[in-house]
Amino acid sequence: MEAIVDNLIVGFSVAFQPGVLLYAFLGCLVGTLVGILPGIGPLAGISILLPATYGLDATKAIVMLAGIYYGSQYGGSTTSILMRIPGEAASVMTCIDGHAMARKGRAGAALAIAAVGSFVAGTFGVVLLTVVAPPLADFALRFGPPEYSALLVLGLVFLAYMSSTSLMRTLLMAAAGLLLGCIGIDVMTGHFRYSFDIKELGDGIGIVPVAVGLFGLGEILSTPAKTVTDKVAAPRLSELMPNREEWRQSAAPIARGSVLGFLVGIVPGSAHIIASFLSYAVEKRVSKTPEEFGKGAVAGVAGPESANNAASTGAFVPMLALGLPTGPVTAVLMAALLIKGIAPGPQLVTEHPQVFWGFIASMYVGNLMLLALNLPLVGLFVSVLRIPYAYLYPLIIVLCIVGVYLVNNSIVDVWIMLIMGVVGYFLRKLEFDPAPLVLGLVIAPTFELSLRQSLVMSNGNWAIFFSGQRPIAAALFAVSGALLALAALSWLSRKDWRRGLPEES
Amino acid sequence: MDRRGFLAGSAAAAVLGTLPAAGQDSYPSHAITFINPFPPGGAADVVARPLAAVMEPLLKQPIAIETKAGAAGAVGAQFAAAAKPDGYTILIHIVSISGFAEVDRLYGRPVKFTNADFIPIARFIADPMVLIVNDQQPFKTLKELVDAAKAKPNELIFSSSGLHGALHLPTALFMRAAGIQLRHLPTNGGGPALTALIGNNAQVLCSSIAAASPQIKAGKARPLACFGAKRAPALPQVPTLKELGFNIEFYLWVGMFAPKGTPSAVITVLREASRKAAADDTFVQAMNNIGQEVAYLDQAEFRAFWEADAKRVEEAVRQIGKV
Repeated sequence: MEAIVDNLIVGFSVAFQPGVLLYAFLGCLVGTLVGILPGIGPLAGISILLPATYGLDATKAIVMLAGIYYGSQYGGSTTSILMRIPGEAASVMTCIDGHAMARKGRAGAALAIAAVGSFVAGTFGVVLLTVVAPPLADFALRFGPPEYSALLVLGLVFLAYMSSTSLMRTLLMAAAGLLLGCIGIDVMTGHFRYSFDIKELGDGIGIVPVAVGLFGLGEILSTPAKTVTDKVAAPRLSELMPNREEWRQSAAPIARGSVLGFLVGIVPGSAHIIASFLSYAVEKRVSKTPEEFGKGAVAGVAGPESANNAASTGAFVPMLALGLPTGPVTAVLMAALLIKGIAPGPQLVTEHPQVFWGFIASMYVGNLMLLALNLPLVGLFVSVLRIPYAYLYPLIIVLCIVGVYLVNNSIVDVWIMLIMGVVGYFLRKLEFDPAPLVLGLVIAPTFELSLRQSLVMSNGNWAIFFSGQRPIAAALFAVSGALLALAALSWLSRKDWRRGLPEES
Repeated sequence: MDRRGFLAGSAAAAVLGTLPAAGQDSYPSHAITFINPFPPGGAADVVARPLAAVMEPLLKQPIAIETKAGAAGAVGAQFAAAAKPDGYTILIHIVSISGFAEVDRLYGRPVKFTNADFIPIARFIADPMVLIVNDQQPFKTLKELVDAAKAKPNELIFSSSGLHGALHLPTALFMRAAGIQLRHLPTNGGGPALTALIGNNAQVLCSSIAAASPQIKAGKARPLACFGAKRAPALPQVPTLKELGFNIEFYLWVGMFAPKGTPSAVITVLREASRKAAADDTFVQAMNNIGQEVAYLDQAEFRAFWEADAKRVEEAVRQIGKV
């Protein structure tokens, strides 16, 4: 413990250098912007700013780029809540209840809860990162393809609890998402599937263009057909902050989201997206009032928004402790260090303690900065709703197109987004919820890859998922099985809580 | 075209026509784009960026890096192959550029581009691959690994960055030369492939030395053999495959290409600038930072190297075959 305190003192002495502080702030600021702007997510933001760090020393570079990453998880909720447009892929879940809260005039409260939840989860993540990173890194290594398959099966089971519409509609959308997720090169055999000779489809359909298209464009396109009577546009200043009841309702989800998000964040893959959706499903499952979900449940904002922040911090564990990237974002961060002549690896902490602890300490500071940056902005963001749609929406469409193009410099992505926008419009009209589709799209390629990888490892023997050598996988499958059994029991005894729900929201 | 447009066009043509034919020797007259066919921070990107920084003052024009990632580098290469051959769209690509056409032929797909669609300009680095095993594995030498693999064929697992990718190809060449069969665990990148090895979900991996070094230093991965012609300065204790009796070489190299049909005057300018850039201290330092030695080859030598290398790559693709 003493050693940790000493190290943190070293770290803070680095983090409080004016130059480092400045770049941490710049990173958080850019991250918030990247989060707010639809389309541009943390990966695109970091990639675009990577060249700008070439003139900086390693600490400043990594502090700024990491600030963009965890900062984007703060900003991502803003447009989700206000306009039902996910600012980045991990904020899809926030669209549902966050926007519903905004419609009830609680936009300010939702934004504030998202900011505070993000802060609590981010700080919780950094504390864990400081204290228990090495043993947790070993846990990450034990999370191989079989464990990942098991986690995603659990995710699929949870899909059923996802949506505010009927179960049938949820499963239809999820199945459509899973099918879309099959597009692309088959990793095992190299065949192109459903790509129609478009090379860009070889890597599959991106999550960002689909999420922005279905939610954002779909929402915008369907607006002219609605009578705009929303009085939510102008909440009074006194209504900006959450009331006592809302704080009370968000405390437990924030705590659960933080723990869940951090654990999921450690394992490889698109962790922060999966973390936010698992958190939403868990909240709905444990809630005493699941029927509130989809109609502005506070827990539906607090849980996922905390989870995605904790996950983005958790993703640093394998990167810092082992020198292994868990996803594309950490891969770019590692390249940023590599370019400075610092090879991220198991010996980073002993060879470059200034960089390592300076980076950790800067995350404590960064999270404070982000809270200070985001809470006062709540009022400003809410007043964006005062702008008439006729001016606001064309601007957002432009931002969506530019943002989606920037991610891969790919015009194909823009087409996907536009097509998905039209699809999203009809889904709105027919009262389908697009969230399960997006999640199916996230799960399908990852699940397929890890399932087939597992079977390569076991030479085709399915016992790998249940063997004693793979206790984590077996345990996760047991949880999935138990959930299914519970659902089956309650269906058999005709006490399905879902029957109490109205068919459509 | 309407009449006004026609007139404007004619006027522009007339103006251009009166310009001296010096247009050609004044290359470059505006910004140049380097196409990076991999995600930011990838193998081509970390070379292209410092290279661009050093070449800008030499060419007196800005150089933009445009990332066109996708399909393991095929999207960027195809984009560059189809670009106007005027010297303003230049491709920075790696060893795997030679494999795409062969893979397309293998699957009976129309070939989108071949090596003949590009003019090689220069090679900048060539990192020999290193064969590593997980530290929990008992093998201390390559012979022990080969013997174990022979005793139990198709039992040990190797990971790769993807089917027919830069980490799969050398493994395939080695397996054939050694007469062994290992099971293939494809992942979706160099990082995940290394993670699979460190987590002991795979036992064998052929990686670039730069990527594997931190794990080797930490004792998490054990190097058994290098794919270079001679021993690597970073790993002097590790024998080469040639020393061990396998006639295999394989490098993760990064080179510069122009689309077919680029005027030779333009190529000469780029060659000159590349030669100077490769000798520049800033560039050498940047390469050392990412764990690389500059291994510069001028056009003629690079072309010869590339032809030999393409044969290796095509052979490896055919060796892997259709899965």
